[in-house]
Amino acid sequence: MAVALSIDGLTVDFGGFRAVDDFTTVVEDGELRVILGPNGAGKTTLMDLISGKTASTGGHVHLYGTEITNRPEHIIARHGVGRKFQIPSVFRDLTVRQNLEVAASGEPGVFRNLRLHMVAQDRERIDRVIELTNLGPVLGTIAGELSHGQMQWLELGMLITQQAKVVLLDEPTAGMTQAETFKTAEIINALKGSHTILVVEHDMAFVREIAERISVMHMGRLLAEGPMAQIEADPAVREAYLGSGGIH
Amino acid sequence: MSDTTASSATPNRLNRIADWGIYALFIAVVLGLPMLMDDVFWLNRIAKYLVYGMLGIAIALSWGYAGILNLGQGLFFGLGAYMTAMSLKLMSSTSLQQGSDKPVPDFMLWNAEPGAMTDLCCINKGSFLWIPFQHQWFGLAMAIVLPLIVAFILSSSIFRLRVSGVYVAIITLALVLLVRLLIIDAQPVTNGFNGLTDLGWLTIGGFEFDPYMVQTYYVVAGSLCLVLLLARWLVSTRAGLILQSTRDDPTRARYLGYDVAAFQVFFFTVSAGIAGFAGMLYVVAAEFASPSFMDITFSISMVVWAAVGGRNSLIGACLGAILINTIEATVSETEVFKEAWKLIIGLIFVLVVLYMPRGLAGLARDLTGWLGQRRRGADPMPKAAE
Repeated sequence: MAVALSIDGLTVDFGGFRAVDDFTTVVEDGELRVILGPNGAGKTTLMDLISGKTASTGGHVHLYGTEITNRPEHIIARHGVGRKFQIPSVFRDLTVRQNLEVAASGEPGVFRNLRLHMVAQDRERIDRVIELTNLGPVLGTIAGELSHGQMQWLELGMLITQQAKVVLLDEPTAGMTQAETFKTAEIINALKGSHTILVVEHDMAFVREIAERISVMHMGRLLAEGPMAQIEADPAVREAYLGSGGIH
Repeated sequence: MSDTTASSATPNRLNRIADWGIYALFIAVVLGLPMLMDDVFWLNRIAKYLVYGMLGIAIALSWGYAGILNLGQGLFFGLGAYMTAMSLKLMSSTSLQQGSDKPVPDFMLWNAEPGAMTDLCCINKGSFLWIPFQHQWFGLAMAIVLPLIVAFILSSSIFRLRVSGVYVAIITLALVLLVRLLIIDAQPVTNGFNGLTDLGWLTIGGFEFDPYMVQTYYVVAGSLCLVLLLARWLVSTRAGLILQSTRDDPTRARYLGYDVAAFQVFFFTVSAGIAGFAGMLYVVAAEFASPSFMDITFSISMVVWAAVGGRNSLIGACLGAILINTIEATVSETEVFKEAWKLIIGLIFVLVVLYMPRGLAGLARDLTGWLGQRRRGADPMPKAAE
């Protein structure tokens, strides 16, 4: 299998404090990887480093063989990294359909977008996403008026419309009801195989629902990596979680 | 799913029809006005208000659509005005009556050192800047090109550095003041505080556009309609949609792969070009250019017009500017209201900001939405998927 994302010795040093410290892992094409770790382990910072929000001070990130380390966010996005934030981030004054239309444009520049109109392909892609995310009834609604769960699904839908090859999800079920969490798991499971997905998550029920391989982070370092059963049995992981009450 | 999309499309379609109806009506009224009113004095006045309407469009484009509050739009208006006025000044008879066979602005001659050569090249240190303005078209072209260049350089530097929000407002505010000072200070070249007066008339193909002539009104009105439609087209393109997305959440737009700064720079620059064009037309209609165009109060007034009319609507902001100025002109002829007017407009602004953040245009849109809902009877729009 091809390697989608290869992270090699990634480090960020905030004036002596290493939020991510010599982190190395390889995510294969089509894999769903869950990143676990206690609070402050550096999970979100890791996503910031991959997506270009924060500049790393050491190490490399390669996306399908292309180096994307410390490139500007929009360039990394153009290479195929999509990111969902912990706090839902959608265009609140635009309608749901407009949100998806913005995500659908394959052109980054201003002038091309003056001439570019929606083509049948874009429309089809949007329609598929609408079906997957159940947003059909609210297409004309202003995104700021959506429920919390719908907003999260819209953001997920935008990543799919964007045709991100590697999708970074930061706590996609935070603040969701059980039913919403279940629906989210369904959407993510539907993406398995066609997208490479990296999920930061605390909700263990949800992790069991979707996880294949898990990387555990602790103090900015990679502590353990493997399938669910192996991680749960790992003594080092139990040790790291002891302070925060163990995995439950 | 198909019938739910249909029901949510109905108010959209109604809105779109209402929208185009308003545009058509506006253009018809603006272009048809001379048939109803043959008082050239009033037509000239209204032409100036139409220029303010164009400024409203420029503000709506940058503030409403791009989320960039430019408190120095007067800078671009002023540059457009001065560029035009320099050419028209050289065409004025006052520039030829001072004993020189080549045009030299009268104020330069009055202030010339004894024995200085009465030629644009060297009557004073800066006068050579005026040489290309002997061609009217150079001045007219620069009225748009110079604001575009200045806006491009300014916006490239601030948006690449991701300056946003109130800081943009502060920078633009400071800049317009700075340029105003420079213009006043460069008295030998710009006639300082007095500005450029006694201008000649815009001349196209031998036809002289006397400001108090219906043809001049048509030049201004036609330009306004063109700019309105151009801006409308710009925001309806995909680039316009992406621009609005960068206003709502620049980070999200960046993560979708858009170079946010490029979109901001483009629309900020277009907005400045429109303001420069407005400055040009103002000089054609009003026959002067003055540093007061770069007063803070003028730039802030523009923002107030747009806020009252509705900053998220091009035509709303345009109408806001025209209406406020028309009312102001009518009211300030009564002595009692003359001073009170500033208070009244301040009060209106506060009320709009507090209770009608989308201005008159937002009010109109709510009204059409409400009418549409009534027409469809008891079929409220589905708000959420259950």
